Amino acid sequence: MSMAVVHGRARGSRPGEEVPAAVLFLILAAIPLVTSGYVVYILPQYMLYGILAMSLALLWGNVGILSFGQAAFFALGGYALGIAMKQPLGVNPAYVGLLVALAAAALVAGLVGWFLFSAGVRDSYFVLVTLALSIIAEQIAVSQSQWTGGWNGLFLMRMTLTLGSALEYPLYEDIPAYYAVLLVMVVTYTALRGLTRSRFGKILAGIRENESRMTSLGISTSLYKTLAFSVSAAVASLSGALYGMHSGFVSPSLGGVLFSTEIVVWVAIAGRSSLLAALIGGIAVSSISNLMSAITPQYWQLCIGILFIVVIAYFRGGVAAALPSLVERFRSQP
Amino acid sequence: MTETLLRIRGLSKSFGGVIANADVDFELPAGGIASIIGPNGAGKTTFISMVSGHLKPTAGSIEFRGRDVTRLSVEKRARLGISRKFQTPSIFPNLSVWENVELAVLASRRRPRDSVGRIAQVLDLVRLVEFAEYKAVSLSHGQRQWLEIGLLLGNDADLLLLDEPTAGMTAAETHATAELIRRLSRELGLSAVIIEHDIQFIRDLRAPVTVLHLGRVFAQGSFEAISADERVRSIYLGKA
Repeated sequence: MSMAVVHGRARGSRPGEEVPAAVLFLILAAIPLVTSGYVVYILPQYMLYGILAMSLALLWGNVGILSFGQAAFFALGGYALGIAMKQPLGVNPAYVGLLVALAAAALVAGLVGWFLFSAGVRDSYFVLVTLALSIIAEQIAVSQSQWTGGWNGLFLMRMTLTLGSALEYPLYEDIPAYYAVLLVMVVTYTALRGLTRSRFGKILAGIRENESRMTSLGISTSLYKTLAFSVSAAVASLSGALYGMHSGFVSPSLGGVLFSTEIVVWVAIAGRSSLLAALIGGIAVSSISNLMSAITPQYWQLCIGILFIVVIAYFRGGVAAALPSLVERFRSQP
Repeated sequence: MTETLLRIRGLSKSFGGVIANADVDFELPAGGIASIIGPNGAGKTTFISMVSGHLKPTAGSIEFRGRDVTRLSVEKRARLGISRKFQTPSIFPNLSVWENVELAVLASRRRPRDSVGRIAQVLDLVRLVEFAEYKAVSLSHGQRQWLEIGLLLGNDADLLLLDEPTAGMTAAETHATAELIRRLSRELGLSAVIIEHDIQFIRDLRAPVTVLHLGRVFAQGSFEAISADERVRSIYLGKA
């Protein structure tokens, strides 16, 4: 067997997700062409949840580290953008806000991650620390009311995309905002997909599979895990900033434990090993949750909880991991 | 004159009151092979763990290419070219054989321009070309040993620390492993320190032997000299 064949077969054994991703993006792009109103208003927020879910999948699926702190970074992004947009800045304050949101989340995650990972903290304790991050984020959002509006939350204006005096593209209307968020989602997915297939991403997968072996191969695993956590936090913060901008409002509960748990549920149900699955999970499960909360305000969380337990009990890798074997079983039936 | 790659002086390790290694001196020239034998509990794995950085010595020094590495971490030693194979193969079981070696190449300090060629070369050396697309978990125990040696080669190691590399192998595989290690030394100039119980394998290596006993160097010399040593024969090799 030639090496080229071996190489191709060894690498091509996993199904690609580019085609389904392209189909999803095309469907989403077509929706405002065929409908309008509430769907076009609300879908971008679900897409931003999808980005948030991908931020967790990058960490949980690729490195094997579960974080209950994604909501903290989501809220950080929302508040950073909101506070920046209220400042009298020479340049477009929304751009400054987005940069601050990304940098602040990456820095906080970098400091926390390096402190924990270089000290050899086990993954289970890391989960507890990230849980505390969400509690801290919610408390700060409540206590620093001069900046955050406390329990009342912070109101945001929708941003205007500018490029000097040449371009001015306001996102006040729902359709421009829809396509701006869709573009960010496509770019984020493509970038994260590229990251997972790069040397960096492969080394993260190696750490997930056998961390001590990666150390013995000369890799500083704490550095890589910290970088992964930073990137994940920055992506969560980006989605939070855009969510705040789109919905026009951020509140302390966006950074809390309950919302962090919801993110984990989306990704666990959809499948953490695939960015696309996480993206769909973020969009679909949050949509279903919203729908169910309208139908049964008292029991919708119970229903989602039961769905979560069923998936964890029967499909540990989520729907995405179970799908290939289910399709195979369906095909093999006479 | 051949450069000394590894120079160890007075290496000792105690766990509480238990002495695992005491005052061990050891040298290995660049491109050289050395084997270490001794009964269970003689301190062989402790010794190799101190060289790889997985254990910190209580006393003594380890020099690699003239540089004191005694206090360096595992990954820093690996980046200098010291790489270890564990008693129980430490591989990436859920990845394919190709992806295993690819990870080692990606992690290496001198990444080759032609990574694919490098992976192919390593797979050829460790006789796993046919299994490139298999998941590592599906390999036999002996093949996993070879794959782990492949990881060390893909990682561009200069010094291979091999802890029982032939465990679980057939006689033919064991012989082929000895051939491989000698070939790596002869053709690529790699060095190896090997812990083994299989005396036939030690004979095949045709390399100097160090006998550890109760954590100390009990005897050192060629295989012939060691096997002719009555004290060693009576204790480790058996008189029959």
